[in-house]
Amino acid sequence: MAGASAPLLGLAVLVAGLLAAALAAHRLAGWRTGRPAAVDWFGGLAALPRRYLHDVHAVVARDPFTARMHALAAGGLLAATLLALLGAIPALGGLKLWWALVFLAFTAMLAGSLMVARRRLPQTPRRLSRGRFSLLPFLLLAYAVGGLVVSGDAALGGVLPQVVALAALVLAAAGLLGLALQIASGPLRHALAGALYLVVHPRPARFASVRDTGLRPLDLAAPKLGAELPADFAWNRLAGFDACVQCGRCETACPAFAAGQPLNPKRLIQDLAAAASTGSNAAYAGSPYPGAPAVAGLGGPLKPVIGAGAMIHPDTLWSCTTCRACVEECPMMIEHVDAIIDLRRYQTLEQGAVPEKASAALSELRLADDAGGRSPAARADFAAGQPLPVLPFEGGETDILLWLGEGAYDLRYGRTLRALLALLTRAGVDFAILGEVEKDCGDLARRLGDEATFQRLAHENIATLARHRFRRIVTADPHAFHVLKQEYPAFGGSFEVLHHSQFLDALVTEGRLAPAALALPGGKPVAYHDPCYLGRYNGEVEAPRRLLDRLGLPRVEMERHGLRSMCCGGGGGAPVSDIPGKARIADIRMSQAVAAGAGTVAVGCPQCTAMLEGVTGERPEVLDIAELLLRAVEAAGDGQEQAA
Amino acid sequence: MIANAEALLKPLKIKGLTIRNRVMGTSHAPGYGKDGKPQERYQLYHEEKAKGGIGLTMFGGSSSVAIDSPATPWNQISVADDSVVPFFQSFSERIHRHGAKLMIQLTHMGRRTRWDTDNWMPTVSASPRREPASRSIPKEIEDFDIARIVADFAAAAVRCKVGGLDGLEVSAAHGHLIDQFWSPDVNKRTDKYGGSLENRMRFGIEVLEAIRAAVGDDYVVGMRMSADEMFAAGLSHEDCLTIASEYARRGLVDFLNILGGQARDDMAHAVILPNMSFPVAPFLFLPSAVKREVDVPVFHAQRVTDLATAARAVAEGHVDMVAMTRAHIADPHLVKKLSEGRVDDIRQCVGAGYCIDRIYVGGDALCLQNAATGREATMPHVIPKAEVKRKAVVVGAGPAGLEAARVLAERGHSVVLFEKQALVGGQINIASKAGWREALSGIPRWLLGQVQKLGVDLRLGTEATEALIRAEAPDVVIVATGGTPNPGEIPGHELATSTWDVLTGKADLSGSVLLFDETGQHQGSSTAEFIARKGSLVELVTHDRYVAQEVGTTNQPIHLRELYKLGVVMTPNMELFEIYREDNRLVAALRNTMTGAEEERVVDHVVVEHGTLPVDALYFSLKEGAVNRGQMDQAALVAGTAQPAIAAAEAAGQGAYALFRIGDAVAGRNIHAALYDALRLTKDI
Repeated sequence: MAGASAPLLGLAVLVAGLLAAALAAHRLAGWRTGRPAAVDWFGGLAALPRRYLHDVHAVVARDPFTARMHALAAGGLLAATLLALLGAIPALGGLKLWWALVFLAFTAMLAGSLMVARRRLPQTPRRLSRGRFSLLPFLLLAYAVGGLVVSGDAALGGVLPQVVALAALVLAAAGLLGLALQIASGPLRHALAGALYLVVHPRPARFASVRDTGLRPLDLAAPKLGAELPADFAWNRLAGFDACVQCGRCETACPAFAAGQPLNPKRLIQDLAAAASTGSNAAYAGSPYPGAPAVAGLGGPLKPVIGAGAMIHPDTLWSCTTCRACVEECPMMIEHVDAIIDLRRYQTLEQGAVPEKASAALSELRLADDAGGRSPAARADFAAGQPLPVLPFEGGETDILLWLGEGAYDLRYGRTLRALLALLTRAGVDFAILGEVEKDCGDLARRLGDEATFQRLAHENIATLARHRFRRIVTADPHAFHVLKQEYPAFGGSFEVLHHSQFLDALVTEGRLAPAALALPGGKPVAYHDPCYLGRYNGEVEAPRRLLDRLGLPRVEMERHGLRSMCCGGGGGAPVSDIPGKARIADIRMSQAVAAGAGTVAVGCPQCTAMLEGVTGERPEVLDIAELLLRAVEAAGDGQEQAA
Repeated sequence: MIANAEALLKPLKIKGLTIRNRVMGTSHAPGYGKDGKPQERYQLYHEEKAKGGIGLTMFGGSSSVAIDSPATPWNQISVADDSVVPFFQSFSERIHRHGAKLMIQLTHMGRRTRWDTDNWMPTVSASPRREPASRSIPKEIEDFDIARIVADFAAAAVRCKVGGLDGLEVSAAHGHLIDQFWSPDVNKRTDKYGGSLENRMRFGIEVLEAIRAAVGDDYVVGMRMSADEMFAAGLSHEDCLTIASEYARRGLVDFLNILGGQARDDMAHAVILPNMSFPVAPFLFLPSAVKREVDVPVFHAQRVTDLATAARAVAEGHVDMVAMTRAHIADPHLVKKLSEGRVDDIRQCVGAGYCIDRIYVGGDALCLQNAATGREATMPHVIPKAEVKRKAVVVGAGPAGLEAARVLAERGHSVVLFEKQALVGGQINIASKAGWREALSGIPRWLLGQVQKLGVDLRLGTEATEALIRAEAPDVVIVATGGTPNPGEIPGHELATSTWDVLTGKADLSGSVLLFDETGQHQGSSTAEFIARKGSLVELVTHDRYVAQEVGTTNQPIHLRELYKLGVVMTPNMELFEIYREDNRLVAALRNTMTGAEEERVVDHVVVEHGTLPVDALYFSLKEGAVNRGQMDQAALVAGTAQPAIAAAEAAGQGAYALFRIGDAVAGRNIHAALYDALRLTKDI
């Protein structure tokens, strides 16, 4: 007969499986405290394999070592465990070949487990959690080594002394039971919760390669606005928190964390997961919120999440720039920013507890339709002396409606907009602005949780836009671009919206603008800084680069660019919330441009411009794509004049 | 970006007119008028400011509406007949092309002009009292004169409107006819135009009512006036506030352009056109006070030389528009540079008053530190790149050398600039040591900033030699080695101290000092003041008819004021012909230039100012090796074409160079001459 202990391995699996199921059922039952959510179970289940193998893998594979590690460890674990369980069936358990198969699976798992251990040597990287996660390699190795010996022995027909085989069985069983105990609140929770979360994901469109990033409208008539308690989140959002495997990729990507502000997206998700069941967050053993004021760290499904006596300090909440870098990096497809906005909505709308300067900005938005309290008539001041067609109050017609945005009030961005106007005029574009009736698009209000002001502004702007006939909206503000394109449709305003880099790129392609090759001072290359709301939020990373390349400029990429670019620090109301840190996000970003050898940083957003222009000392020049293009177009014009 | 910049860059709406920002230039008389018309030179000068981003540029200071207010003095504009209208039309089109607005000043000068010019009409005023500045004794105005002049104002206003100008102001400042009526010092009438302030205001009201009736309610009409004449017999601050409020209340004016002081005599000119001895924006409190009384926009000019002050003035609500007229003469692109975030590139007015002083002696306005202003047809404000990149060596980092290096670097050439001293600036460093002349140091400071930014290879503390220069293998060598004090040639000249040694501190004088000034420029007076301030008894002797004879209207009174206050004895019409030693003291022998009578002074020190002699040893050592032997082709220089020597050096190949000498290294002149030498030579290299 094969190794006598081998069938017992199947038994151990059975016991561990039952234990895990019991623990998991208890944890999953906790999700039911969440609010109901419309979930397409059938579609989700059908899509699970693709979501896991395609979408999740695409994220995991950005780190090839981890991808191989996970494939071997998880794949090995699952295969070996399943095969071992089946080995309890005598018809199979009697086959040496079967156990050879089990042995192979354990070999794979052993290799993966060694990699799990290896990446914590010589010391655990900062982004990885310790605590139970430090135990994980030992549990995996115990199960893998024990299982390997037991199955190997069985494959060879029982060549080991009984005591050795038995010891191996005990080792495997201990490892396995240890792993089973991690299913509810340990490292292995992610396996089950993650798989379920992929099925019930609140943004299923993400898996159809759509950049579904618009915030969901809040029902302002609801008895409670926003999330105060864990139970105020939809149940599938709670599932998302449990899906976190504490890999720390979000932490590495988070600009606020890098700047030493009290935000760590990993810890935030862990705190939200911990808050979902009564108890404390003491088990967390990863990086903290840098410099955050102390909180009680206690929670429960019906206890407030935010506050000094709760899980999360408000400063953590207000440090977020809503850049979505954490979301972009998360292999479990968790929606951190949605959670933050839900929490902010409650703080702002129910508690009025917004940071002081943000409160002033919101008041101005409510009373004056502008965060700075500036007159709507002053929005076009930047263009005084330049022809700028303004639509009448109603019945206006234009091909391109130019949405100026809040950057128009800013002196620096006025320069960019003047360049844009000059380009549109040169290209003979039929364009006009709304004039005094253009209101703040509502981006700031919405990111700061003031959904009521956002919805009012959205309704009013949509009503204004509806009074005119135009083909497309063009804006130089990616925040307005995002809001108009992705968030207004929920309120009945569907428009074709283009970022100015896209529109200018098209004008050059059509030959309506003819730039000459441009030489920048010093001959140093240009680096394009992706605005979060254009790149990550809306997937446009090509048009601006194509445009820059048409100018014949030597171009370099910063290490973080495109969809994985780093935020300038200007989004999500962060500049007005102004939560202190150890460094400024914009300084960090600029140092990355310097490291890339750039002499010029090309931008396409008023926030990025303001933040990067605010970097003091010797640094690359900050120029908008429109400014660069205008220089090139003017250079071409001068050349023609000279030739003539 | 400077503080409050957003306040400056905010548009201003006056009736239907939108001015794109709050920066303007006031109407002034740059002396560019030709045949009483604003022709090409005049228009190009203003167009440069329009290109440079100014919101409103006003021209034609004291443009006359009637033939008994002649346009000839100061080469001004005559709006007294329709022939000016086509010029207004081309002018306004030229300015509007760049998004700026254009307005004019209309006036009747009354007694403040000359009768011995144009049509030889007698001057007129409220009363026949002599005007101190123009020296004219007017005819007392009669009722038909008033009716005629009021109608002339209205007709002139219509010409402005038809000419496409965006508006106009009437001048009631600097002692023109309207404020001659206002002034109790000038107006001694007993009819309805004299006596009470209400009566004295009447003439101006009739003028503005006639203008309003002629151009309509929509056309922008303003008025320039003083808000305090600072003259006991003149209009008090309260009088001026009353006038301003009354004219505004009646809806006669759409803006008030406020200044402080008046211009009846020499000192008053120096105050109303404050030079570098004044603090920045010395009279800002006056428009601020007017603004509290009226509900029309208030403009103001008077030594607002920097944008930070301008922005503060607007942001704090003292004025609605800030006029930076002289600041634009120094840098017509200052608003553009502000809005492009290049404030460090702004060439800031130092307040030398060179521009205005030239006008008062019948010349054209030129900027001490910007040779392109007023020469827009030939001199570029923005230097274009050269087609061929060359290697240039410039020797001497005084104003001429710095400007040459700057322009050559802007042209794209590779430039090495040698300077023997440890710092740049040349003689300006010495001139700026003299009391209130300190602000001159701003001239080399800007030039230094520019050459550093442009990557000029600046070798400070390095005396250039022929070998050092040849080692650079230059295509062109420009010698700008400046001058050295001329000791003069009289017997005993070696006993005298130079003004340079006094100002640099090399000679620390005490006791009694006789300073003989042969140039009549700033040097002699500044040095006399400098010595007197240190406690010496100073006699300033000159062969001229008066002290500082060559210093202009807005600067000379300041010199005289300081010299009088310090008890300096001023002795004109006397030449120094010998110095000799007597015991431990010196005897200065003087001769009266009118009588030939001789006098002697026994003093501790004799200081002499004879101007400079060129420092030219290096030039002569390089001369024979140069393809052009140092000769400037004057015809090419004036025509604005490249010096043939440049091409000749290129043709001659390796080691050949063209040589030029500029600035005081040629002959002792002034800062403007040095800069103009440099600019007009190097712009074509």
